[in-house]
Formats: sequence, structure tokens, C-alpha cells
Amino acid sequence: MLKRLAFILCLVPLCTYAQDDLLSELEEDQPETTQYTFATWKGTKVVNLQTNELPGKGTLQYTILHRFGAFNDDFFYNFMGLDNAQVRLTLDYSPTPWLNLGAGHTGFRKTYDVFAKYRLLRQSKGSVNMPVSVTGFSSAYYSALRIDDGIERGFGRRMSYVHELIIARKFSQNFSAQIVPTLIHSNLVERTADNNTQIAIGLAARYKITPMHAITVEWVPVLNPNQYPNFEADPLALPADVPFQNFSNALSIGIDIETGGHVFQLFVTNARGVAEPYAFAQNTGSWLDGDLHFGFNISRVFTMVR
Amino acid sequence: MKYLSLLLVLCFSLSLQAQKVKTRSGYVKFFSDAPVEDITAENNQVSSILDLENGSFAFLVPIKAFQFEKALMQEHFNENYMESGQYPKATFKGKIANFEGLDLSKDGQYKASFVGSMTIHGQSQEINETVLLTVKDGKLSLECEFTLKCSDYGVEIPAAKKDNISDQLLLTVKIDYA
Repeated sequence: MLKRLAFILCLVPLCTYAQDDLLSELEEDQPETTQYTFATWKGTKVVNLQTNELPGKGTLQYTILHRFGAFNDDFFYNFMGLDNAQVRLTLDYSPTPWLNLGAGHTGFRKTYDVFAKYRLLRQSKGSVNMPVSVTGFSSAYYSALRIDDGIERGFGRRMSYVHELIIARKFSQNFSAQIVPTLIHSNLVERTADNNTQIAIGLAARYKITPMHAITVEWVPVLNPNQYPNFEADPLALPADVPFQNFSNALSIGIDIETGGHVFQLFVTNARGVAEPYAFAQNTGSWLDGDLHFGFNISRVFTMVR
Repeated sequence: MKYLSLLLVLCFSLSLQAQKVKTRSGYVKFFSDAPVEDITAENNQVSSILDLENGSFAFLVPIKAFQFEKALMQEHFNENYMESGQYPKATFKGKIANFEGLDLSKDGQYKASFVGSMTIHGQSQEINETVLLTVKDGKLSLECEFTLKCSDYGVEIPAAKKDNISDQLLLTVKIDYA
């Protein structure tokens, strides 16, 4: 009896090993690693908001941003607004994988700016579980516009600043979204009643329709909006009685097209001032009035250091 | 008698385990030769196991571990082509033909053919290629080179990228078993 039992026992390991698939044995052997999420967005911007993406280490990125004339401003006479473009150009470089530094120029108010973008947290699963990616963005703008209205405009008064905290999550291969608490500060504002510092909560999402194409939506409501004198609302009003109107929140809908080293972003937006402080907090265009603009962001990357 | 049988069982299972060789640091390279650019990517985190009993072997290739010279290229490889979030690994399971006929106890090089099933991007294909087995100081290593077509595995190169990425990839596999 015992002999027979021993014989059966001998067979047991043989049987199990023969059944055991070599692949599943390999699977069990895999060390637990941290899988970082990548490509939450195709580009470093959604439309006007930053995304949590940074160009890779050693990458130089050049972007060209255009916002064309309004749909409700003699659309066809102005060749669908194309005769009337606002332009922004930027150049940035990533010395490390978590830091990106850059400078830009915007035609609107002859604005020069410098910016830094820094990765704080990365979405991951595996041995480190992190539900979101968090990236910071800070920039400073200097408006060199010549204004002759008797108001003293020194260096400080020409400065404004924007800080964004980008909290993004890639929910699936195709769907990503982010919430972006944003702080906009202008040293000089239109009226004494205006807020120098404004808070906005940017919201953005994208859905990939093919591996190379994605639909994007972006909305940036300002919590404490300022007002602007609307001279067109009542052309006959005396200077002291010009009606004031709230600036509009920026709403944009677009498509991302990726072609290797380029990302083309084509969209419709009501924000015409391409640089962040103007796009978010000094935006006179409204979707309801048809004050919309075609626009594009095009990026090109160059690998400088491998 | 009881102890003897237990000992027998123990010896048996031990000897069985010793008949498989493994590694977690195997190497796979692929090379794409297209008119505009050549692309090379390397992976040093390939797991493999080979059963010395019958010559069956398996590979597991973590897709995200492929290293490219350009960061963006690596991102596009994972995101747009391999969809590695959905298909994180490629696998191979096969058998070396006429393995019993090879005498791997002596140092030397042995050419053999193998058949098996390759799974990449969630799609499987039967492949039939040759492999070079080397035995040196009792250690077994494996080397092989073959081409595969991206389109066979449902990885489509868009027409606009055909000049940058070849549909045919040359694969080089080098495994040193422990």
C-alpha cells in the first residue's frame, strides 16, 4: 500500500510540471514594476491651457500659434478670418525629464514671456499607485505695447503672471481629462475695482478617435471675473457712462492631429489673445455672439541630446 | 520505507526543476529600414525559459521596455502602434525541433529549427525559423534572427508613415540562460 502511495506521489510533480505552461511560469516570475502612464495628451497644450505633458529630455520644441479673425466680423470679406491673425511663437527645452524651460512672443499687446513647466507627480500603477499626474506651470509676461494715455507704465506695471497646477488623468487609452486650478495676476488693471489676482478652474478633456487623431474640449471659467468698458454697446454714451461688461470665459473645441514630430491642433475658440493672461482673463469674445475664431497650434520637436 | 518514498519524491521534483533554464535579462532588438529613416529599438528585459527535457521554450517581452534613441519615437511606438497600455507584452511559445537529437552536454554550437506561436499586439501567428544554440562552460545561450511583418499582427503603418517605418522588421534575439 505504502509502496503504491509512494509511486503515486512520485508521479505528482511530474504531472503538475507537465501541465504547467512555460509562459505562465514566466508570468509568475515577473518582478512587480511601476508602470508610468504616458501620452495622456498629444501635445503640451490643449488649446489655451497647458497639458501635463512635457517634451522628453534633451528635446527642443518650437510652437507656432495662430488665432484668426472673428466669425461675426465680415467673415467672407476677411477670408474666413484668415486675413487677420494673432500670432504667438514659443521655443522651449527640457534639460531634464521633469523640467521644461521656454520663452515666447505674442503679437497681442507685444508681449514677451518666459515660462517653466515642472512635473510633480506621475500617474502610475504597479508597485507605486498614483491616480493622477500633477504638473506645474509658471510664466511671466511683459507687455511692450506703446500706449500714450498719460498713465505711467514702468517695468512692473507691464508685468503679469500665470500659474497653473495641472491635475490630469488618463482614464483609458482614448480618454483623458484634466482639472487646472489657475492663478492669473496682472500688476495693472483697467479699473480700481478690478481684481489684480484672478482664479480660474480650467477643465479639459480629449477623446482619441484614431491613434493619430483626437477631439479636445477646453473650458476655463474665471471665478472672479473683471469687467471691460464696452464702447460698442452704446456708441453714444459719454466717456463716464460707457457700459461695462464681464470678460467671457474661454471655451474651445478642437482636433489634434499627430504626424510624427509635429502635432497640429486645429480648433474654434472665443479667446483671441493667444498668451495665457489674455486668453483666460481678458477675453471679450462670446460664443453666444458668434465671436469665434479659427485657430491652430503647431509644434515641432527636435532631439538635441540623445 | 515511508521516508524513502518521501525522499524519492523530493529528489524527483528537484531534478525536474533543474531541467529548466531561465533568464530575465534577455535581449531583443528590432530594426526598421525605410527610405527616410532607420529605426532601431532595444530591449534588455526579456524573460525566457527553456525546458531541457523536450526543447520547448517561451519568451515574454515587455513592450514598454523597448528603448529608442528619440523619446517621442518611443512614445509613439507604445501609444500609436503597439498600444502597449492594452497589450503590455509580446509572447512566444514554441519548441525546438529534434531537440532530443542534440547533445548539449558538450561545448559547441548547434543549429536547429523551431516552430511556435508568436503573440504581438494581441494577435498570434505561427512562425518557423532557425536558432543557433551555443553551449559554453555548461551554459546554454540562444541566438536567432528573423523578419516579421507588422501587418501580420494588426499593427498598421499609415500610408503617410510608410517612408519612415518599414512594415518588415528585422528581429535579433540573444538569450543567455542562467
